[in-house]
Amino acid sequence: MGLVARAAAAVVVLALASMLAPASAVAQGDQQCLACHATPGLEKTLADGDTLSLHIDGDHFAPSVHAALGCTGCHADINPTSHPPAENPIASKRAFATNTVPLCATCHAAESGQWGQSVHAALVRDGNPNAPICTGCHSPHTMLKGEAASIETVPCKTCHAAIFTAYDTSMHGVARRHGLTASPLCADCHGAHDVSVPSAGVGRKEVCLGCHTEALDTHRAWLPNVDLHFGVVSCPVCHTPRARRMVNLILYNSATDQQISRPAGIPEFENLSSAATATTSGLAPAALMTLLRALNHQGADGQTIIRGRLEVRTGVEDHQLALASQAIGDCATCHRKGAAAFESVSVSVAGPAGIPIRYDADKAVLNSVFSIDSVSGFYAIGGTRVTLLDGLLLLALLGGIAWPLAHLTVRWLAGRYLDLTTPHHLH
Amino acid sequence: MHRIYLHPLPVRIWHWINAAVCVTLLLTGVQLRYVGLIDVVSFRTAVSIHNWTGLALIANFFLWLGYYLGSPRIRTYHAEPNPVKYFQGSLSQLVYYSFGIFKRAPEPFHPAVNSKFNPLQAMTYQILMLLIIPVQAITGLMLWNLLGFSKAVAFFGGVRVIDTVHVLIFIFFAFYIPAHFYLGTLGRKPITHFREMFTGYEEAEPAEPPPRSSGVGPAE
Repeated sequence: MGLVARAAAAVVVLALASMLAPASAVAQGDQQCLACHATPGLEKTLADGDTLSLHIDGDHFAPSVHAALGCTGCHADINPTSHPPAENPIASKRAFATNTVPLCATCHAAESGQWGQSVHAALVRDGNPNAPICTGCHSPHTMLKGEAASIETVPCKTCHAAIFTAYDTSMHGVARRHGLTASPLCADCHGAHDVSVPSAGVGRKEVCLGCHTEALDTHRAWLPNVDLHFGVVSCPVCHTPRARRMVNLILYNSATDQQISRPAGIPEFENLSSAATATTSGLAPAALMTLLRALNHQGADGQTIIRGRLEVRTGVEDHQLALASQAIGDCATCHRKGAAAFESVSVSVAGPAGIPIRYDADKAVLNSVFSIDSVSGFYAIGGTRVTLLDGLLLLALLGGIAWPLAHLTVRWLAGRYLDLTTPHHLH
Repeated sequence: MHRIYLHPLPVRIWHWINAAVCVTLLLTGVQLRYVGLIDVVSFRTAVSIHNWTGLALIANFFLWLGYYLGSPRIRTYHAEPNPVKYFQGSLSQLVYYSFGIFKRAPEPFHPAVNSKFNPLQAMTYQILMLLIIPVQAITGLMLWNLLGFSKAVAFFGGVRVIDTVHVLIFIFFAFYIPAHFYLGTLGRKPITHFREMFTGYEEAEPAEPPPRSSGVGPAE
């Protein structure tokens, strides 16, 4: 089609659009765009064979936060006289969306900067095709003010559906649905754009304490060694009574105080399978000891050490928070042999984008004499006691009772059969 | 029969406090380590009792140390400078407990005011008071406040190392206390040494020579 013919066609379409376009609230200039883009089914075939919808619903765009900017506020590169261009190849939907990131950043520089530091951006850089970029969470043509802060429209649930379902029925979700806006929604705990890896390091304890400022004092009233518990036990361990618990043995570098990444060239690591694919009982106590020795022979600064944490097993369970009155308050839940919390053990290192990689470990690493040194940073009285010492205690106790009994018996027999009726000192 | 004032009041106070404290620590220690086996009080209460009793043990240790450092009776803890004599004395005591006592043989050691321990006792009590109790107190303090003592805990190899040492000493006491109680019954009468630890006076009969009496008794 020639340029004149295309221009004539555009004029006709514009004339029709002025009659058909429903978005009366849309600015006059934008109505020219909507003349075409309000057409349902308008789409473009992409280089990868996929199709990109070009349809903009004027009724939804008009009240959106971006309506005030007008179409050219974002699409300033479009020349109305030559639009649509003869050729505008777009590789894929993902490529198209990725190209909008700098565009969003022109107005939302702070948010964009935060996003750049987030786990989401790290995943993008790592090549994850599903990692969210701006338009993955925010639909630019329909976005309403406060949408991301509403339990009905919060964008996180698109990808994290199972976690959101757990949240929705938790005490936080229920309170939020009942209108208590102080009850946190996703971004209140995880950040809106600066989302970090919640399972890394010491987890989200500080976030919980950000709202529950009295928690430390209320726990101090009844919980021994509060600071230690707060450092080693994640809040959901006690506050999601139905959750399954586990011990996460995190490999740290003592010099940098950072979780180490999966080291290459360590045979003990090469042979490990991640927790998700493990089919055996996992890393045995002696193997864990050997692994640590291998890591500490690399000549790097600092020692690789293990810090243990008690956590719930999945992100879904992390969000099943119950009322404080339903929280676990019985110390014996964990401080006894065979406690469910110590039935599942993993060893973790930092993976791509800082997301931990977890390897299954044999639960015996918590009770083995081989672990006295290797798992030196995690111990729960009673629950992870060294089994060998139990045997020693039994022997000592039996010896402490048996020896006097035996001695007493021999004294009695000697007195009876050796005819020593008169003690020597009375002679 | 004559009486020797072997156990001054501060020593007797220290001894019986120590006995009560050690037994309490053992029992609460068992409850903490073996939840479900002994549940006399709640876990939380057991922790609290164990902590306070541990602090009492430490305070009581300093009562003992202060008394002996300021008293000529500290000579009772002095080691025999001649190793041959020391080992001969220890061997004689060991032979007495292993054989002589059954034949009512004369006791090889006779206590005096400033020398109330036989060589075996002197060695045992010095190891106990100057090594085992302090190590148990220090490891207990670390376990009581792991964060506060985190640097020391890391220096010694981590919480498991500290706990293992603490439990090994606990195991030692599980053997020692019944054995110690039994040895306390080896006086002229089973109750003699226990009564002495209340009155302070050892009931000694003239022995040939010198005029001394039994040297086997509870730790003091």
